[in-house]
Amino acid sequence: MIDVLFIGLSLASILLLVALGLAITYGAMGVINMAHGELVMVGAYTTVMSGIWLKLGFLASIPIAFLVAAGLGWLIERLVVRWLYGRLLDTLLATWGVAILIQQAVRLEFGLSFLGIHVRGLGPGLQNVSVPGFLQGTFTIGDLGINTYRAFIILVTAALTVLTWFILYRTPIGMQVRAIIRNPKMAAACGIDVDRVNALTFAYGSGLAGIAGVMMSGFKTVFPDMGTSMVVDGFLVVVVGGVGSLAGSVLSAGLLGEINGLVASGTNDILARAVVFAVVILIIVLKPQGLFSYKGR
Amino acid sequence: MLTLRKLDIAAYVIFIVLIMLAPLVFDPFWLNRIAKYLVYGMLGVAIALSWGYAGILNLGQGLFFGIGAYMLAMSLKLASPTSLAQGSDTPVPDFMLWNAEPGAPTALCCINRGSFLWMPFQSQWFGMAMGILLPVALASLIGWVMFRKRISGVFISIITLALVLLVRLVVIDAQPLTNGFNGLTDLGWLTIAGFEFDPYVVPTYYLVAISLALVLVAARLLIETRAGLILQAIRDDDRRARYLGFDVPIYQLFFFAVSAGIAGLAGMLYVVASEFASPTFMDLAFSITMVVWAAVGGRASLLGACIGAILINTIEATVSETEAFVEAWKAIIGLIFILVVIFLPRGLAGLSTDIAEWALARLPKGVAPRGAAPRRDVQPAE
Repeated sequence: MIDVLFIGLSLASILLLVALGLAITYGAMGVINMAHGELVMVGAYTTVMSGIWLKLGFLASIPIAFLVAAGLGWLIERLVVRWLYGRLLDTLLATWGVAILIQQAVRLEFGLSFLGIHVRGLGPGLQNVSVPGFLQGTFTIGDLGINTYRAFIILVTAALTVLTWFILYRTPIGMQVRAIIRNPKMAAACGIDVDRVNALTFAYGSGLAGIAGVMMSGFKTVFPDMGTSMVVDGFLVVVVGGVGSLAGSVLSAGLLGEINGLVASGTNDILARAVVFAVVILIIVLKPQGLFSYKGR
Repeated sequence: MLTLRKLDIAAYVIFIVLIMLAPLVFDPFWLNRIAKYLVYGMLGVAIALSWGYAGILNLGQGLFFGIGAYMLAMSLKLASPTSLAQGSDTPVPDFMLWNAEPGAPTALCCINRGSFLWMPFQSQWFGMAMGILLPVALASLIGWVMFRKRISGVFISIITLALVLLVRLVVIDAQPLTNGFNGLTDLGWLTIAGFEFDPYVVPTYYLVAISLALVLVAARLLIETRAGLILQAIRDDDRRARYLGFDVPIYQLFFFAVSAGIAGLAGMLYVVASEFASPTFMDLAFSITMVVWAAVGGRASLLGACIGAILINTIEATVSETEAFVEAWKAIIGLIFILVVIFLPRGLAGLSTDIAEWALARLPKGVAPRGAAPRRDVQPAE
């Protein structure tokens, strides 16, 4: 039983890892970023590339992936998203276009494949990343065998969650972000540079996706489409948790992860995902505002 | 007097005449392709109806398309020669036999636990009826729950999105019944009154083209009825409509269900033209791609969304002769889509309306466009 719960926890941590960035971009900024999964994919490819070209190890690529994804996110905000504030569904559609662009950029090696130039680590094929030795294998607590890498993901997710909480609730910029969540116009009237804070927030959320990508690359094959299904999962976590509520996202990731783990242990993975979707639909129908949410805006 | 409304009607007429004349120009191979794109055009109409006119962005339209497709495909699967050649008096799908437990009776009633569900599909009419009725019934059920609870905007999109992914997983998981990932292939031909609709003959093209023309005209007439006008009022301000005494959920429900029925019909026609049904119809990407077509063509224009779908797919087919261009085309579509959403929220239809208005205003005698309701810049409800 405990091993099933641990698997659930591990699934939850992966969900949260992806959802954390979305919780910020969607919660704080009212932007449905369908390209979030692609930012995860970019993070994963950054790991692949920095391994091949910079000879950097797995852990060293975490800050690089953060910076690359954050930079890309900043560009997306400046070029696309900032035209669309207040048009929620349009952000969904436009960022879907962005997602396709990023995917094709990787697949076509930024267009270089037309010139017959091929970049190792890019292109339509599959890539693999090797995880350092001390993160492989399993260790045991009592009679419970725990996959080291899964434990590592849980640790990283927890650290990032705490960091995000700290930034949001204990720093001046976090206070500005929260003010914008509550009421962007009022925040602007109080002298907050909403444009700048929005761009920074979006970049930070995207950077988190980049780190999620590094983590994903450690246990999944890396390929251009890998982000598409993640964005949906991450998005459902945020909506179920309640828009703009970090604690809500943490709890709903835990809930959905455990449901997934429990059902999967009784039946199979496909059915488990179906049950998760059913639970999500039920929760949204019963409580459209999510399990936890700020009142009004 | 030339008015916007007359131009609009002329556009419908020209479009319908053009698709009726297509067989004069194209060979059977291309005709079959175009038939598929006309089906996509029908999906565009369904999207525009629910998104542009009702303000309901359904990100799970693939669900209704997929159900329509599967319902007819089940009938056509049973009509396939391979289903009749399984050593039984009654047809049995080949994949059921491949997966059957040893000693299981080779009859639909009991070859596996759920196979009896296939029995009524031995009648093609049953499959065809279910292809529309089931999407409509399902949409009514979902709509009844959602609209009664006054769920709106992005939450509808998320619910429909989760729903299509849910059903997709169930279809994949119910492998003995649905052939899972592989979907239903090797289908027979649709047979109506003794005529077999081979996908590569002209009558099949006309089956699709006439269906599309009927759907287009019917949808257009529908939005001009009183109910259609009330629906647009609800889209613009649902609270005001509610205070004026209209039963808002009923109108939303009705148009949501009509849109689902159109998508179901499109699914059936797609099966006739392409001879397969697969879970990919319920992929997230396909459902969003439909919305892309409608957005590029014009979300608030039935004809615009329809033409958008046909145009994008036809261009895609022409550039896809070279492998590398297929991928480049996807990137271009992504870019076009971003630009359309940001700079041209009303799509190509909005652009042509603006041009028409501009031209009308410059006509001699200074005839101002009248009669047609001026198209406002339509934003979907948040």
